Amino acid sequence: MADQVILPRLGQGMESGTIVRWLKSEGDEVQKGEPLFELDTDKVTQEVEADVGGVLLKILVDEGEVPVGTPVAFLGEKGEDLPEVEAAAPTPVEAETEPAAVSAGTDPEQPERVAGPPSGSVPTDGRIKASPLARRIARERGIDLAALTGTGPEGRIVAEDVERADVGGAPKAPARAAATGEVERVELTSLRRTVARRMTEAWAAPAFQIVMSADMTRAQELRARLVERHPDERPTVTDVLTKVCAAALMRHREVNALYAGDAIELHPSANVGIAVATDRGLLVPVISGCELKTVAEIAVARADLVARSREGKLQASDLEGGTFTISNLGMYGVEQFVAVLNPPQAAILAVGAIEDRPVARDGGVVARPMMTLTLTCDHRTIDGATAADFLRTVKEFLEEPGLAL
Amino acid sequence: MAKVESKRGALSEERLRDFLREMLLIRHVEEKVEERFRAGELPGFLHVAIGQEAVAVGVCQAMEDGDVFASTHRAHAHTLARGTHPNELMAELYGKIEGCSHGYGGSMHLYDVERGNLGANAVVGGGLPAITGAALAFKLRGETRVSVAFFGDGATNIGTFHEALNLASLWKVPAVFVLENNHWAESTPAKQQLPISDLEKRAVAYGMHSTKVDGQDVEVVFKAARRALDYARSGKGPVFLVCETYRLVGHFVGDAQVYRPKGELAELRETQDPITKLRERLGIPDDEFEAMDAEALEVAEGAVAFAKAGTDPKPEDALKNVYA
Amino acid sequence: MPELTYREAVRDALSRAMREDDDVFIMGEDIAEMGGSMGVTQGMLAEFGPDRVRNTPISEMALVGAGIGAAMQGMRPIVEIMYEDFTTLAMEQIVNQAAKHRYMSGGQVKVPLTIRTQGGAGWSPGAQHAQQVEAWFVHVPGLKVVFASTPSDVRGLLWSSIYDDNPVLFFEHRMLYPIKEEVADELEPVPLGQARVHREGEDVTVIATGRLVHESLAAAAEAEKEGVSVEVVDPRTLQPLDEEALVSSVKKTNRCVVAHEAVVRGGYGAEVAAVVQHQAFDWLDAPIERVGSKFTPIPFAPVMENFVVPDAVDVLEAIRKTVERTGG
Repeated sequence: MADQVILPRLGQGMESGTIVRWLKSEGDEVQKGEPLFELDTDKVTQEVEADVGGVLLKILVDEGEVPVGTPVAFLGEKGEDLPEVEAAAPTPVEAETEPAAVSAGTDPEQPERVAGPPSGSVPTDGRIKASPLARRIARERGIDLAALTGTGPEGRIVAEDVERADVGGAPKAPARAAATGEVERVELTSLRRTVARRMTEAWAAPAFQIVMSADMTRAQELRARLVERHPDERPTVTDVLTKVCAAALMRHREVNALYAGDAIELHPSANVGIAVATDRGLLVPVISGCELKTVAEIAVARADLVARSREGKLQASDLEGGTFTISNLGMYGVEQFVAVLNPPQAAILAVGAIEDRPVARDGGVVARPMMTLTLTCDHRTIDGATAADFLRTVKEFLEEPGLAL
Repeated sequence: MAKVESKRGALSEERLRDFLREMLLIRHVEEKVEERFRAGELPGFLHVAIGQEAVAVGVCQAMEDGDVFASTHRAHAHTLARGTHPNELMAELYGKIEGCSHGYGGSMHLYDVERGNLGANAVVGGGLPAITGAALAFKLRGETRVSVAFFGDGATNIGTFHEALNLASLWKVPAVFVLENNHWAESTPAKQQLPISDLEKRAVAYGMHSTKVDGQDVEVVFKAARRALDYARSGKGPVFLVCETYRLVGHFVGDAQVYRPKGELAELRETQDPITKLRERLGIPDDEFEAMDAEALEVAEGAVAFAKAGTDPKPEDALKNVYA
Repeated sequence: MPELTYREAVRDALSRAMREDDDVFIMGEDIAEMGGSMGVTQGMLAEFGPDRVRNTPISEMALVGAGIGAAMQGMRPIVEIMYEDFTTLAMEQIVNQAAKHRYMSGGQVKVPLTIRTQGGAGWSPGAQHAQQVEAWFVHVPGLKVVFASTPSDVRGLLWSSIYDDNPVLFFEHRMLYPIKEEVADELEPVPLGQARVHREGEDVTVIATGRLVHESLAAAAEAEKEGVSVEVVDPRTLQPLDEEALVSSVKKTNRCVVAHEAVVRGGYGAEVAAVVQHQAFDWLDAPIERVGSKFTPIPFAPVMENFVVPDAVDVLEAIRKTVERTGG
């Protein structure tokens, strides 16, 4: 009978861990005590050794986060039968090149995701009283109404009750102690650790930056008119910028490219990643096929991804497939900054705040809403002239959106 | 008035023969309608004017271009007499788009605005106030046009009749109110529904000029209608024209007329048929009459064929024409 | 900018149309020398003469019917029915004739008739002079129904109604005749079928007509103090209804109150609630509340009349119900 390999409890209070990668493959001979896989917890990443020797017959959990005690592999003799095991579906986390989307509940110190005990919202006939809006929000966010208490008339669950339940689950960064004058050591979460690793990778790329400023008058007008036409979606300037970049990427296909070591992959579609700041760290979900989407459709996709990023509900597929990234620190008042490449992408665009600046026009000085665009590029994939052409197209499209047609 | 009469004089024989042809056409169309209804080809329900052709022809032929009229639920004769082609009428009864109301109205809502036909009306007395209104428009605009309302003795009981005549008389508008007194309101005989027997007296209540004639004599009807229209047209005010007539059929097609005294119908058909009367007056020989008759029948049959070959409206056409 | 009362605004629209267009004329009971029982047509007899400002006998059927007949001949008559309770006397002509002519004729005729009428309780007029009946006419295909609540709206909408080629039931409200508003020098037509947002808000949409627009604005001001942000929308035209505006407002606020002076049961608010429920189902966080008169004829004694007829307090209560929390 094959031996189960379970996820070990490595420390007090550990409830679950993340398998980062396997150090042995299926079919390999494993000695007792030999490292089998890398396990990431909130506190540390370490190798887990095999308790017994044998052939690694099957890996049940390739990577991802599972609760302590979950069977993750079988060791035994070659050809042995494997018992039935209910595979624990791991919460999908980082692929090798993507940052992690951490779900709620990893930290035992955090409150339970579902707020409040199930109570008076469930009438005796089994029907749950909830407003249509509350039901829709619950449906969209995968929240179980039966677990909620309603504060509406007669115990009806209203939208606010669902929203409240949802917010409760977002894990926060480990609590900081009040400043006491000592050096405080904040351990990296697995997400931050991943971000750190990737950013370090990025430094390996020979990068350069080019800077241009764009007059955002027409882009702002366009945005205002789009908001009128699409009041539900409320497109932002970033959405307009995303569409503009997608259009520009289709004109400059060599920028819509990934570095693949021995080759450059030119991609047919502009899958634009939007950098999102969350409590846990930086996430870059991807809106695929932006060149085919309208600005309103991009707005819808962006809103959805941002919401789910902040709620910790991104899927791995949301983080994959990006060909270009936009990072916008304008809302923080930043005028200009240099973004770090998102390897293996060829380029990343950093934009700052739109502010009225004096500019020279027709021999005079006027105030115009200007935005600074900084394009960081991987010199292994594209060179200066290509990057400049691309960025100039982006600038032209922002200043005269009709040129993108 | 005398001057006008000498100008027009008695009707020529030729004109009267035209009237006879017209009445024969109406008769045959109405008989075809009955026949096709009994064959199950016509949706809804219908009222034919057999026996009342002389009123229709006499009044409608007296009208001039630009004059308008509103009819009742028994509107086929008026519609044909004012010039709507039998094909269009029959197509309407079959619910085809070639019908004069394009399939939207049916027997009781025949309209032909080009010929001044402002619509048949299924509501007893329903069209009368609008006739007062049309006449008011002509007066306000200074036009020498007249509006004509057809209605039956039953309608002289209803509110719209009294209000419309009252107002028309008060404002002295160029309207002619034509009462086709066939002595029946559906199944109710005159004495059960009318407190007076001489309906011309109704006009006295409104101070309205009035005339009464034998509605089965088309020549007499025509002359009286002419005089009434001239009176109204000259600005002297509206006229109440009573035509004593007979319904030689039931109220609606298929009406068994159980309420009618036995023998009355047979006797009336013998003595009060306006077509027979005119034929006799003109002394038309058999062969000529048969030729006229056959010709009218041919047109009526042609109308049925035309209608049957017509185009059904698309179901979604029902959504059109609700608003202008 | 001149200030006009609602009453003057109606007169202004009528007069301007009559000055520009010989085909426009008005008919009604006591509208000439007396200037109308509500004083709306004062001065018009002197300007336009008795042919175009016509007193009629007390015969609503003939009055409306004559209007229909003249309209079918291409004129644009505006007939006045003194109290909307009396539209009942002309129902046959309005519903069987005016509404259906165009359709029955297969599109051959037009009836560009405007029927003006008014009503409204609050002054002990008694049951037969106080009912609000706009819902009846919304139910008749072929008719358009308008109910303006401000001087600028009533002026602009009456103009558009006169020049609409369909029969229009134009409702005015007695208690609104004296209210004043600054209006533009030139008459600005208000298109039919377009709602107006009187007050923007985030928490509840109140859809109100006629006098209840003003009651709802007062209720909204009170609600603001309680921390509830109320949006007040006036459909202005009841048929055709600006469904899009109403639904998008409710999608924004997630709560809805419908308010009118007419009786709640079978009132126009029921249609609005059904439309909103259907199109904004997944956006509703509370049931739609309806405000209207209680199910009685309007009583005479002021104390009873006040009880039956709704006002700002009733709207406020309804607003509160939509945001009510009992648990927590």
